[in-house]
Amino acid sequence: MEPILNIRQISKHYGRIIAVQDLSIEVGAGHVFGILGPNGSGKTTTLAIITGVISPDNGTYHWYGRSASAAIRKNIGSLIEVPNFYPYLDLVRNLILVARIKNKPIEDIERVLKLTNLWDRRKSRYDTLSLGMKQRLALSAVLLGDPDVLVLDEPANGLDPEGIAEVREIIKSEAKKQKTIILASHILDEVEKVCTHVAVLKKGKSIAQGRVHELLAADDPVVVECDEPDKLKSTLVRAGMSASIEKDGNRLIIVLKSGYGARDINQFAHQQGIVLTHLETRKKSLESQFLELVKQ
Amino acid sequence: MPMKSIIFNEYTKIWSYRAFRVIILLHFILFFLVVLVTSRLDITIPGFSTDYLYQFPNIWEFFPWVASWFNLLLAILVIVMTGNEYTFRTFRQHVIDGLSRFDLLTGKGFLILAIAVYSMLMVLIFALLFGFIFTRDLTMAMFVQKTYILLVYFVQAVAYMSAGFLLVILFRNTALAIVLFILYRLIIEPVFRLFFPPETRLYFPMKVISNLTPMPEFLSISSGNQQDPDSVDTLNLREMGILAEDLPVYLNLLLAVGYTALFIFLAWLLLRKRNL
Repeated sequence: MEPILNIRQISKHYGRIIAVQDLSIEVGAGHVFGILGPNGSGKTTTLAIITGVISPDNGTYHWYGRSASAAIRKNIGSLIEVPNFYPYLDLVRNLILVARIKNKPIEDIERVLKLTNLWDRRKSRYDTLSLGMKQRLALSAVLLGDPDVLVLDEPANGLDPEGIAEVREIIKSEAKKQKTIILASHILDEVEKVCTHVAVLKKGKSIAQGRVHELLAADDPVVVECDEPDKLKSTLVRAGMSASIEKDGNRLIIVLKSGYGARDINQFAHQQGIVLTHLETRKKSLESQFLELVKQ
Repeated sequence: MPMKSIIFNEYTKIWSYRAFRVIILLHFILFFLVVLVTSRLDITIPGFSTDYLYQFPNIWEFFPWVASWFNLLLAILVIVMTGNEYTFRTFRQHVIDGLSRFDLLTGKGFLILAIAVYSMLMVLIFALLFGFIFTRDLTMAMFVQKTYILLVYFVQAVAYMSAGFLLVILFRNTALAIVLFILYRLIIEPVFRLFFPPETRLYFPMKVISNLTPMPEFLSISSGNQQDPDSVDTLNLREMGILAEDLPVYLNLLLAVGYTALFIFLAWLLLRKRNL
């Protein structure tokens, strides 16, 4: 099946600074694709490239298997960096401009303003809004015309906890409608909760990519407790089952090599005559996985 | 994007913008005041009357020339409206939302044309008003003679605004573009022209554009001399250095259209090549 977005080997330099290098990403239909990375990792540049405001130095990207065009962008709801509106226009007029550009019905403005709780402020000038309200207006513009693809760069920026929760609900409800969402965010908890796939960027390169649950399960540590931790440690190392082992009192925190699981440790310990008093697979959070990847 | 939507969007942007309305009003009032005050001047030199300037067909020459003083305001208007798109990052947002870069150019092209049409209509209406008041024994021949200058003025206004548009696209900064536009028009190009032979000075962009509506030949008009521009009297004035030797109108017009096309084309190249 043709991916919705196919980025191939794109690079972008600003003088000597590498913003993005040989980045390839595929986003399938209905995926909620998270793009993670520390500041300056190339997330926004990547999103700016795929939304047409920056040209890549090298590489290509295709939406729906076709070269990007203004006509395709009309059907993609995008929020890149900060909201950009005319400060002297009210909310409705600002959205009318967007609706005309996107060729969407002006009647839809009421729906999106109500969805983002801005309907009561519809007659206010944009420059009188708080940062959070501005962000919500940008989300209204994104949702105008009910696009099939959303590109969101830090959509919860500037929002209070209630606002963040609202944004998360909006993203979740859009995802439930089988929409394709590309989401760059610093809030890893948010990404973990809503994303199906993720790419981690560092210095413009992709350092990890895949389904969120696969990425998290890749090297979940197994924690065991026994009376003879040193013996278990040395035999595990000799058997070549572990990638790393940390000892903490009677506890061992074991990262297993690919193909092994907690069940194998239990069986192995039993064969060695070691009685385990505790065995658990510790699920990594996306945050800890992300921090590990980025530190490498 | 359909042309209708581009035009409606430009209309929404400009008409809700107070600075736009203030500058347009200022332009209108300044022009009106100048032509009104000049019409009331009581110059008591025997055989000399400003009334002749307000009579057909001289008014078609006089009013566009007066209006050309205020073209700077129109260029500033275009610079402000385009500079805003960079300041508010709305050019960038429009592209994200689905406009092509050509649509951005088309929108501002409409803005320039709309302002030029307004300005031309303003000159036309005042010219008709004052012309009918001041002209006695009006004939059709008198009325239509020199009306083409109105269209020449339209080209001039478009050319000035296009130059301003290019500068603001180049520098992406409203204040810098305004300062450079004024400096270029009043100082840089006039000084630069001095380094060239007199016959080539007439081909510089600002010279070409400003020469589209040259200063009327006041002495011959105000003394009631209605001879054609190539009359001995006018030629004498030129020979005396009182009037500048100009290029023929058609050549000046052609050059101005060429410069306008060049300004727009360069702006288009910048818009297409640069990141937003």
